[in-house]
Amino acid sequence: MKLFEYEAKTIMGSVGIPVPKGQVIKIAEEIFNLKLNYPVVIKCQVQTGGRGKAGGVKFVNNIDEAYEVSKKLLGLEINGIKTSSLLIEPKTDIEKEIYIAITLDRNKKSHILLGSSEGGVEIESSSEIKIVPISGNYNPYHGRKLAKLMGLDQVKLAMVSDIINKLYYLYENHDLELAEINPLVFTKDGKILALDGKMTVNDDALDRQPLFEGWTVNHLTDLSERELRAKLAGLNLVELKGKIGIICNGAGLTMATMDLVKNYGGEPANFLDVGGGADEGRVKRALKLVADNPNVKLILVNILGGITACDEVAKALKTFARENPDRSLVVRLLGNNQTQANEIMKGTGIKSIDDLNLAVKEAVALGSKN
Amino acid sequence: MSVLINKETKIIVQGITGNMGKTHTGHMLKYGTKIVAGITPGKGGQDVHGVKVYDTVLEAKEKTGATVSCIFVPAYFALDAALEAFDADLELVVIITEGIPPHDEVKIIREASNKNIKVIGPNCPGIITPGECLIGIHPGIIYKPGKVGMISRSGTLTYEVALALTNANIGQSTCIGIGGDPVIGLGFIDCLKLFNNDPNTEAIVLMGEIGGVAEEEAAEFIKKEVKKPVVAYIAGRTAPPGKRMGHAGAIISGGKGTADSKVKAFKDAGVQVADIPSQVVDLIKQVIKIPAKV
Repeated sequence: MKLFEYEAKTIMGSVGIPVPKGQVIKIAEEIFNLKLNYPVVIKCQVQTGGRGKAGGVKFVNNIDEAYEVSKKLLGLEINGIKTSSLLIEPKTDIEKEIYIAITLDRNKKSHILLGSSEGGVEIESSSEIKIVPISGNYNPYHGRKLAKLMGLDQVKLAMVSDIINKLYYLYENHDLELAEINPLVFTKDGKILALDGKMTVNDDALDRQPLFEGWTVNHLTDLSERELRAKLAGLNLVELKGKIGIICNGAGLTMATMDLVKNYGGEPANFLDVGGGADEGRVKRALKLVADNPNVKLILVNILGGITACDEVAKALKTFARENPDRSLVVRLLGNNQTQANEIMKGTGIKSIDDLNLAVKEAVALGSKN
Repeated sequence: MSVLINKETKIIVQGITGNMGKTHTGHMLKYGTKIVAGITPGKGGQDVHGVKVYDTVLEAKEKTGATVSCIFVPAYFALDAALEAFDADLELVVIITEGIPPHDEVKIIREASNKNIKVIGPNCPGIITPGECLIGIHPGIIYKPGKVGMISRSGTLTYEVALALTNANIGQSTCIGIGGDPVIGLGFIDCLKLFNNDPNTEAIVLMGEIGGVAEEEAAEFIKKEVKKPVVAYIAGRTAPPGKRMGHAGAIISGGKGTADSKVKAFKDAGVQVADIPSQVVDLIKQVIKIPAKV
C-alpha cells in the first residue's frame, strides 16, 4: 500500500523528522481557509512518480492564483491516476537538496540504505547513489556511514544520520517496503527539512499494523474498478488490453497461460490467479470479474488441480454457463477429482481440453472471431 | 539417489493440527514420506493421522531423530516457527506458508545462513524425490522417478511441466519449488550446484519468472560451472511492468526483471530456452536418453 505524501509526512513528523507545516484540501474552495503565508507550493497527492514533470506541483504568490491553480490541479490525471487531494505548504528557501531512502534488496536478502548528495527529480537515473547494506541489526553507525559516503561531514552528517535513524525506525516498525525522502533539504537558515516523503507498506503485513487499519480501499487508486473488487475479494487480477480472459490457479501457470495465448496469436485480457485450493464460490467470483470486462470475448479457464479440487471448479463453471449462455468458455481442467468434474460438466456443452496447447489454440481461434 | 532428501529422511510437520498441515500430512504419509512427529504448541500428546504431536521442535527432534521440518503455520507465526526449528539444529526447513511479511523473511534467511541451515521457500510447493519422499504440497501422482532435476519459482507451473515430462516417460530425480517471494532460502544457484553434483541427475530444468535477477545470475553460473545440460523456461513475457503478478516477487520494477532480459541471459550462456512449457519436453529429449515405454 503506497501512502500519500501528506500521510507519509505526518508519520515522519510523529517521530521527529522535520517536515513543513502543510494543509490538505479536497475541494478548491477550501483554499480560502488556508492558514499559511504566501508564497506557497501546491502539490497533487497521487500515488505515482513523475508528478513534477506532469505539472502537478505549482508555486503561487497569492490567494487568487492559489484558487485558480487548485481548481486546475484537482482532477488532474498523472500517469492515469486522477488527483483527488492537494497538499499546500510554505515555499522553502533551499540551500541544498539530497536524497535518502531505505528499501529491501532482494538479491542481497537484506535491507539497504540509499543516499545521494544530489536530490531531486532525476534520482533514479543518477549514478551518484550510495548504498549501505544492513547485514545484521540496524545501528546508528549505518546511517553515519551512508552520510559520509554521500560526502557529508560535521553538522550536516549529524543532522542527516539522525534522520536516517528515525526513518529506519519507521521502516522497521511499520513493515515498510520503501521509505524515501527526496528531496531532503538544508534550508538557507541552516535547518533540515523533508520536503517530500514516500512510504510503501508491505501488503502482507497490513493485518498486523493497527495504524493502517481500514486504509486499503482509499489507497488503491492505481487499480481499475474490477481490479479493486478482485483485491477486496482476495483474488489477484491484473487487466491488460486483449480480448481473451484468463482464469488459472497459481501465479506461474497463469503467466505461462497468458504467454501461450500471445504465442498462438491472441492477446490476453487479464491475469487472474484464483490461488491454491479455490472452491466453487471463489471460482464463481473470478468468472464474474473477468466476464464483467467489456473487452473480453472469451474466457479461458486453465486449472491444474494440485490442492484445487476440479469438481469445485466444475460446479462454478456449470452455474456460470447456465446463467451466461452467450459467454464462450474454453476449459482445461485437470488433476484432483477430475472424473467427478467431467461428470458435473456433462450436458453443459463444456468439455475439458486436457492438452494445454490445444486448449489455448482453441481459445485464440474462438476469441478472434467476431 | 537424489538431492537433499530420500526415503530415509525423517520429517516433522510444524502446524500439523491446522487445516493445511493436517490435509497435507495425510497426502505425504500416503506417498510414503516418513513423518515422525508434528508440532503444535499446547497440543502435545494428540495425534494426527497416527503421527504424534509435540509441543516443541526440540522435544520432537530428541524423541524421533528428525532432521527436516515442513512448516505450514499461518504467515505471522512463521518467523517464530522457523527460528524454533533453527534453534533445534535441524538440517533443512521447508516453509510452505504464503504471505510472510518480507521483514520476517529477511530475519529467517539471515538466521538460517548464520547457522548454516538450508531453507526451501517460503511460499513454495516444497520438494519431492519421486517414489521416495514428498515434503510439501506437490501432487505426488504426476511425478515419476527418473533423471531430470527440476528447480522452479512456481508451484502449478512445475506440475504442468512435470506432468508433461512424466507423460513422455521422462522421470525426475528431485523437484525443488524454491518459492515465489522476493526473499527466499535456497536459490537457483544453490540447487544447480546440488544437481550438478548428483550422480543420478542427467539434465536440469530451470523454471523462472519475471522479477529480480536470480535467473540472470543462474545463467552466468551455468556457463561457468554446470556440466550437465540445462533447459530453461521463463513465465511472464506478457506481464506489464510495475504490476505484481500473483507472486510477491513477480514484478518488473524500474525496467529490471523482464522476461526478455532473462531469456537473453540464458541464450547468451548457451542454455536452451523453451518458448512454451511443453517445449521443455522436446528440448530435454534432445539431451538425454528416454527409456522405452513398457
